[in-house]
Amino acid sequence: MEAGKNLSSSRPIKVLLAKPAIDGHDRGIFVLARALRDAGMDVIYAGLLPTPEQVVDIAISEDVDVIGLSLLNGAHMTAFKKVVDLLKERGVEDIAVVGGGIIPDDDKPKLEAIGVTGNYGPGTPLSTIIEHIRKRGEEARKKKEM
Amino acid sequence: MDTLSIVRGITAGDQRIVARAISIIEEDNDRSYEIIRSIYGMTGHAHIIGITGPPGVGKSTMIGVLSRKLTEMGKKVSILAVDASSPFSGGTILGNRIRMQDTLSRYGIYMRSVSNRGMTGGLSRSTWNIVKVLDAAGSDFIIIETVGAGQSDIDIVYLADTVIVTLAPGLGDSIQAIKSGMMEIGDIFVINKMDREDSFFALKDIMDNVYERNGWMPRVVGTNSLKGEGYDDLIRAIDDHRTFSVAHGGKRRIRYREEVRLALSRIVERHVWKEFGKLLESGEMDSYYDEHLDPNTVATEIFAQNNGLSQGNSVERRVEF
Ligand code: B12
Ligand SMILES: Nc1nc2c(ncn2[C@@H]2O[C@H](COP(=O)(O)OP(=O)(O)O)[C@@H](O)[C@H]2O)c(=O)[nH]1
Ligand SMILES: [Mg+2]
Repeated sequence: MEAGKNLSSSRPIKVLLAKPAIDGHDRGIFVLARALRDAGMDVIYAGLLPTPEQVVDIAISEDVDVIGLSLLNGAHMTAFKKVVDLLKERGVEDIAVVGGGIIPDDDKPKLEAIGVTGNYGPGTPLSTIIEHIRKRGEEARKKKEM
Repeated sequence: MDTLSIVRGITAGDQRIVARAISIIEEDNDRSYEIIRSIYGMTGHAHIIGITGPPGVGKSTMIGVLSRKLTEMGKKVSILAVDASSPFSGGTILGNRIRMQDTLSRYGIYMRSVSNRGMTGGLSRSTWNIVKVLDAAGSDFIIIETVGAGQSDIDIVYLADTVIVTLAPGLGDSIQAIKSGMMEIGDIFVINKMDREDSFFALKDIMDNVYERNGWMPRVVGTNSLKGEGYDDLIRAIDDHRTFSVAHGGKRRIRYREEVRLALSRIVERHVWKEFGKLLESGEMDSYYDEHLDPNTVATEIFAQNNGLSQGNSVERRVEF
């Protein structure tokens, strides 16, 4: 801790990483979990096969700032949207949703339009992903503090 | 959200408000203490169970089963699990939830993962205050999973009403437990993974090594958490210990004393850091550098000057030969 800095705290950005559909590709999400931890964030991995309902429940219970959704199986349009819809249904406006995995370019604007940003695929530098998640996390944190 | 709405939400057991309140508590600022002050009168009902033991013995899995059984008995259970932060980045992978998620979803049990924020002792500094929120939210049982670093996980002794030390066969058994100081802290010992070979030897080993402390003879229970076996015995042991500790009553006084001690240390620490900051800003270190004075002498001099201690040459600056 730096001397003189107020002890009372800045709480790290808290991220939930989840694969909200049947998709066994979990290498990417583990890489992300470690990278975000090493960037100073708190990271929860929801395990394989959580339902969109579970993802939203966990996000609320843990009061996360960002939900990171990863799918490489082609189900992102329906599954990501389901998570966004459930958040809306429950009136949650202060949690950001960020996506990634194998997402065709054509789908990206559609995801952006429903509020799922990032949508990074293989080969994206981790620094780009971290920066994006931090930015979205800080926006969400500001909304929480309102 | 204003404090009154938060307090109302907590006491109504509203999970979303409880979740937000815990975040505010974790920030450990004036707002946090305003909330604690407002809900303190509504705390004291919950029985706090601490679960500790080496990594991988099955603590999180156990909490999943235990919370399910207690919920089925009509009890309201809340869970708090602590993970260790990375000493390099301060970030934390919070990995305990995965093992219990199915139960949590099915029964609507509130669970929260927190980082220890670099604290030793197996808990985070805010754990104590988070427990107050869960208590005021009407929990009958609050189950806490410690970091699981063995020897150093001792804060739970002060925080929990009942401490469960979990072990599993294949760890070097009792020798490990005795060496790591765990035999001293358990009110109940669980040998988990009773489906494993050698589990009965491990069970016997621990049974041979427990001893009575302060009028309580620790219970030793075997469980298989994958099948939910042994949990009736475990719940009976918890209930017996709860009855015992209510009758003896000493535990809560000890906890209260520790809480005041922690609060005092926080105030002192804040004060010290503030003063430290002032000292750092006050010293003209570069001029000392040019004088080639040793660092401790410089620090002593800066400290003395800022605390009105400086009287001419009272600080020995240099030894001449
Ligand atoms: C390794 C691999 C597997 C392994 C998975 C092992 C594991 N445990 O992960 C195995 C062999 C099991 C496998 C199986 C299958 N695979 Co496969 N697999 C791959 C492969 C070659 C690499 C994936 C990988 O691990 N990459 C390394 C990690 C680190 O990168 P990543 O996951 O992409 O994640 C990075 C980014 O995408 C991004 N990112 C990812 N998620 C997120 C989330 C957020 C929020 C953000 C911000 C960023 C982000 O950041 C990550 C880190 O840099 C890809 C091809 C490819 N080049 O991507 C095919 C690929 C994903 N598989 C594919 C298929 C079809 C399958 C199978 C159905 C094959 C089959 N017919 O049996 C099965 C299905 C398995 C299942 N149960 O789901 C297809 C998917 C096609 C599609 N979506 O249209 C791919 C694209 C191959 C292809 N070109 O056809 N596979
Ligand atoms: N064989 C067996 N494995 C178990 C049992 N309980 C838990 N496990 C497994 O042990 C591993 C570690 O469990 P976890 O609950 O994460 O342990 P923790 O680190 O102590 O919290 C997981 O793979 C569990 O599935 C049990 O009773 N028997
Ligand atoms: Mg665990």
